[in-house]
Amino acid sequence: MAMLGAMVGAGNIWRMPFTTGENGGGAFLIAYVLLLYLIAVPGLMAETMIGRYTNNGVIGAFREIVGSKRGQGLGLVVLIVNVALMSYYAPIIGWALYYAGHSMLMTFTQPGFEPQAFWDGFISNPALVIGMHTLTMAGLAGVLVFGIRRGIERVVKWMIPLLVVALLAVAIRGVTLPGGMEGLAFVFTPNWDYLTRGSTWVAALSQALFSTGLGWGIALTYGSYLSRYDDVPLGGGLFTAIGNTSIGLLAVFATFPVVFAFGLEPSAGSNLLFISLAEVFPELAGGFLWAIVFFVSFFFATFTSGLGITEVGVTTVSEETRLSRSKSVIAVCGAIWLLGLPSAYSSSFLGQMDFMFGSFGLPLATLSIIALVAWKFGPERARVIDLNRNAGIYVGKWWNPVVKYVIPVVMVFILGYGVVSSIGTENQTLMILGVALMAGLVVVSTVVMGAIGNAPEATSETVPEGGD
Amino acid sequence: MALTAVAWMSMLLAIILLPGVAIVVLVKSMRSEERKLELLQEQGSIDSYSPRALTELREWVQANPNDPYASIARERHNECVRTLKDIDEPYYEWSAEEIEQLEELQP
Repeated sequence: MAMLGAMVGAGNIWRMPFTTGENGGGAFLIAYVLLLYLIAVPGLMAETMIGRYTNNGVIGAFREIVGSKRGQGLGLVVLIVNVALMSYYAPIIGWALYYAGHSMLMTFTQPGFEPQAFWDGFISNPALVIGMHTLTMAGLAGVLVFGIRRGIERVVKWMIPLLVVALLAVAIRGVTLPGGMEGLAFVFTPNWDYLTRGSTWVAALSQALFSTGLGWGIALTYGSYLSRYDDVPLGGGLFTAIGNTSIGLLAVFATFPVVFAFGLEPSAGSNLLFISLAEVFPELAGGFLWAIVFFVSFFFATFTSGLGITEVGVTTVSEETRLSRSKSVIAVCGAIWLLGLPSAYSSSFLGQMDFMFGSFGLPLATLSIIALVAWKFGPERARVIDLNRNAGIYVGKWWNPVVKYVIPVVMVFILGYGVVSSIGTENQTLMILGVALMAGLVVVSTVVMGAIGNAPEATSETVPEGGD
Repeated sequence: MALTAVAWMSMLLAIILLPGVAIVVLVKSMRSEERKLELLQEQGSIDSYSPRALTELREWVQANPNDPYASIARERHNECVRTLKDIDEPYYEWSAEEIEQLEELQP
């Protein structure tokens, strides 16, 4: 449940609707569900399992299993991708905070309220967006330093159900608005042409990784805190992946009927949720209350996701350096704040970061973790020794070829297809930049960890590559 | 605007494959955790592997006795065997005969 709480956030509620809108609606959902079951569910089982088995953060887990200093470079890749993702996730938490504050001021139900103008006024005010980003990072650092995280998570246990209720209320009102059903038709009528486009599959893969948290190091870090009695396949794998996506689907149900009822553009991009949902609250009975419930619970959901994402860096830095936990929090939060300033300042920069790290960085981090479990530790060892230990469902031998061959091959094929199909399009430059950045990241991380990495314990150096 | 049959089918499929599966998994997971907690409070420990999973673990150790992870696998196997012989009510579906036949693996 803690993992689900950490992963239900902007990835599902903010990102999934606009990514669905930009990639043809129904066709995108088909690709997404397919990749969810094929990659995210078995992949999350692998990531959580290796965290529980090694009891370490990302770099420590690589050190224990790979047994070489340079091998820890792939752990550093996961960490850097995590920090880069958080650098543009933090400004989105800031947006949620701003909207939560205005929901309590009843701004969204004032006569003459204009959602588009309100959004434009907010996003074009650098002091305001950078201020919100700063407040967010200060809040995250405060919670992590003062150890009140458990208290916040207890609040979120109530906030997630409230968020679901608010999304349901908006969805019901949305489909009953004139034109609302067109939104459902857009989402659930597959446009088969989109399934032949590389960009649809890259977006679906990226969304599957973004909304389930696979490859961020979150499942690995949370796994390292799990006890031997916890259930990795059912709780850490299946429920985390499918539960998260169910909330994403609900957000899609809530967003698109409103988008079509108010004549908004479904492929409007990252502001879709903030503009479309702000349109519907005046149409609801007790609209100001629904606005408070939705935006406050949305803020808490994104904030706890932020805690989960930042914890990956904090755990790793405090394990790998001599810094105390408080100093690690300050170092990691400070780095994220600084790196997040350009994304906070410019939403188009944020979109470019999302394209590069969501489409290439996250798959690279996922491949690193999958390689650790499937190619170094060995899927049969993993399954027999740890995955089926105290498991609520039995994971059979089918899992071995899936994590060892299917996940890497499908991911590499989709990425390759996405790269080839973006040649000659407007995304070409960004794609080349993304691929070059990730290749450089692997080389630099390997060299850096080879030079400064902590030496592995003598016993792990004798471990052969695990076969299946 | 009425939805087409294809749209209805896709919507139904998405609901079954996502919230439908999530609810089933959530209920199963909560029941399983509740039972584990109950048994842990009553007995202090529970068996860690199902009959099928323990058989696989034993076969793997026997097939890979020199594997670097064989000792931890053996340790986990033997701990489960000792627990099963010690407790009154196993968490997984073990029969008394199955438990009787279990033996610890020697290094």
